[in-house]
Amino acid sequence: MPTLVRKPLTTLVGLAVALIAAAPALAGDGGLSPVTPNAPGAHGITDIYWFVTVLTGGVFVLVESLLVLFVIRYRRRKRPRDADGPQIHGSIRLEQAWTLGPVLILVAIAVVVFVKLPRITHVARANAAGPRLDVTVTGHQFYWEFDYPNGVVAIDRLRVPAGQPVRLTVTAPDWDVIHSWWIPALGGKIDAIPGRLNHTGFTAAEPGVFVGRCAELCGVQHAAMLNSVQVLPKATFDAWLAQRKEHQAAGTSTLGKDEWVGSCAKCHGLAGEGLVGPAIAASPTLLDRARLATLLQDGTGQMPPVGRGWSAEQLDALAVYLRGRFGSGT
Amino acid sequence: MELSAHTPAPAAGPIPAWQRGKVASWLVTVDHKRIGILYIVTAGFFFGAAGIMALLIRTQLAQPDLHVVTRDSYNELITIHGTTMIFLFVVPILTGLANFLVPLMIGASDMAFPRLNALSYWLYAFAGGVLMLSFFSSGGAARAGWTSYVPLSVQSPGHGQDLWILSLHILTLSSLVGAINLLVTIHNMRAPGMTWMRIPLFVWSIEVFSAMLLLVLPALSAGLTMLLLDRQAGTHFFAPSHGGPILYQHAFWFFGHPEVYIMVLPAMGIVSEILPVFARKPIFGYKAIAYSTVAIGFFSMLVWAHHMFTVGLPNYLNGFFMLSSMVIAVPTGIKIFNWLATLWRGNISLDTPMLYAIGFLSIFTFGGLTGIYLAAFPVDTQLHDSYFVVAHFHYVLFGGSVFAILGGLYYWWPKMFGRLLDERLGKTSFWLMFVGFNVAFFPQHLLGNLGMVRRVYTYHEHGLWAGYNLASTIGSFVMAVAVLVYLTAIVKGFKGRRAGNDPWLANTLEWYTTSPPPPHNFDSVPYVTSARPLYDLRRALKERGAL
Repeated sequence: MPTLVRKPLTTLVGLAVALIAAAPALAGDGGLSPVTPNAPGAHGITDIYWFVTVLTGGVFVLVESLLVLFVIRYRRRKRPRDADGPQIHGSIRLEQAWTLGPVLILVAIAVVVFVKLPRITHVARANAAGPRLDVTVTGHQFYWEFDYPNGVVAIDRLRVPAGQPVRLTVTAPDWDVIHSWWIPALGGKIDAIPGRLNHTGFTAAEPGVFVGRCAELCGVQHAAMLNSVQVLPKATFDAWLAQRKEHQAAGTSTLGKDEWVGSCAKCHGLAGEGLVGPAIAASPTLLDRARLATLLQDGTGQMPPVGRGWSAEQLDALAVYLRGRFGSGT
Repeated sequence: MELSAHTPAPAAGPIPAWQRGKVASWLVTVDHKRIGILYIVTAGFFFGAAGIMALLIRTQLAQPDLHVVTRDSYNELITIHGTTMIFLFVVPILTGLANFLVPLMIGASDMAFPRLNALSYWLYAFAGGVLMLSFFSSGGAARAGWTSYVPLSVQSPGHGQDLWILSLHILTLSSLVGAINLLVTIHNMRAPGMTWMRIPLFVWSIEVFSAMLLLVLPALSAGLTMLLLDRQAGTHFFAPSHGGPILYQHAFWFFGHPEVYIMVLPAMGIVSEILPVFARKPIFGYKAIAYSTVAIGFFSMLVWAHHMFTVGLPNYLNGFFMLSSMVIAVPTGIKIFNWLATLWRGNISLDTPMLYAIGFLSIFTFGGLTGIYLAAFPVDTQLHDSYFVVAHFHYVLFGGSVFAILGGLYYWWPKMFGRLLDERLGKTSFWLMFVGFNVAFFPQHLLGNLGMVRRVYTYHEHGLWAGYNLASTIGSFVMAVAVLVYLTAIVKGFKGRRAGNDPWLANTLEWYTTSPPPPHNFDSVPYVTSARPLYDLRRALKERGAL
């Protein structure tokens, strides 16, 4: 092979190797791989991701460098346009090789997927930190509702303990549309589908706030359907859950405000000034619990029935918050 | 005149005077070449329309929290951009090329059913009009995405969604009629001596393309009909208490995934025609490529649920669909390596069609490889519905199909109109397109990994999110410039250099006749003894010292 040919090939391969070597260093903040995982399941997925990257990266470098090499080496230059190349029609051996090679690569990937799978999908019933926490996640247009086993309700922000297994039952009401639950740092997506109970789970390693968003187009405010998981140290979480239950029963929790921000303000604006939906800051319905209940139950015009299925406690929380926020002189 | 028994000359009835006008003759034509050109021009118009929608989308996303278009308009734009590019541009322009080329490539005088052929074109044009005009219906155009998942599409107010369904129903009829026509033509009207292992690889791809359309379009029609009835007749096919929303996804993707290969296989066929001509070698592994085409067509009908890895199917089903999706990578890989081997030791002329074919090879390879991430279902649960997927399918469909189409048009333009297109403009358009495409779509992989989901009208994150999005927007405008340069070449092409019968010294029968071909295509067709009848002819002439 003439040096003229070897040089671009060496440079290309060198560049590619350098890129692949640099990739893990950039990962996590550059987007070359999924965001830094904070749960064993998400770790498992990222492991498979890198395994696939190494193998497909190899194929990519091979194909692209051969392509560039051939185009440079065998370009016409001074030869006449109609000068034929060698009349080679094929080669059984080569066909076998490039059939078998990809098959081996794909088998390797499939094996790794199945080996890693239990770690990704399995949610332990309990571990040293305690029994599993079961939370129901319901996707609504355009907010997430979380129902804890002790009756605590939260909107858009899910609080969970670090180190303890959490199992999510993900669904959507019969009258709603499909949403998709996704917190990249904690694992893959699972769709919230009307009439279906899907399950997913994770054991979060480190405390912190991890954000995500609804991943299935769910209507006009799909982009506003943000969600987050706050992972708290176990003791802090337990204290929060107990306290929230008390406050919720006493009507002093932030539930009403969370409902306003999560289920009203995304369309009507944080101050009720109007956004997708009309301005409602001055609407008497906000201060009339009975009319509010009917509106949330039935929806109207383009407005979905955002509060259908809410408990009296949930309705009260919103009604009390709205009176405090918009009622003058009370 | 060995052909006369094989393909009868078109009935030579007197043509009424009103049908001879410059416009009227195109409106009433049943000539496959004219219908093919009508298809291509109409599809080009829709490409422009959907491209402008893409630019609006990218402008809206250029920076965080922009308000260039309204939320509802944004959802209409993404829905109609996707629907138009797939149903009104890629598939019809491939149908147009097939219409023009298949009869010429197999040495026939026309399609088997010329009038049906005109019917499929006019149904297509009509359906396109319905979709475009749906922007002006009450409530605007459809806005549930090109997949129109239920229940969102059932609940969408206004008539945009109904017109979307109507448009696709009409298009389905058009495609079914067209597919049957192409199949009958390929099966019955091949030139003497043209056995199945001697038909051009583009014709092989159209054979599989047509068979797949025939098999999968009914699933789409059924799904759309149930959707329409759920919307307008109060049925509950997809209600949670009855069939459930997932039923729609099965119906849609049983069509939708093969549709991807319906768009890619003919593009591969185009590349298989261009590479050997500009490398001056026979295609490496003709049979391997032909069989791979059939294998891809077959397996593409067994992989649909890889679009549904996040709906909560059991692991064994996800496992099955992962394996079946990976199987497709094997015949695809076979093709890529055969194309590479075709270049090996060739005499490569880097004319515009060849540049686009090489661009196809390099970009499609990347898009195919990112597909393996998506087939590995646990990884897909991270990437699904994120911008990684948007990047992946643009690598496959734009970097794949559209690059091949742009190359193919440059290659066959001289045959269609008798004149060569400008090489300098062609090359400029290619490099702008190649660079613009990668700048536009490579960063979207990274955005998907960062957590950006598709179909959001805006985002709040600054830093990398804003940077990658801005790069993507800049790339999209570079692509728009590339399209304008390409258009300039076409406009100038009507005054370009005369082409002669066979400007590229090609291999297949369409280059045997004049450019443009006469209405009846061929006065006579040589007896075909290989997959490269014109190469054989040139060699025979050379041996006799006549060339």
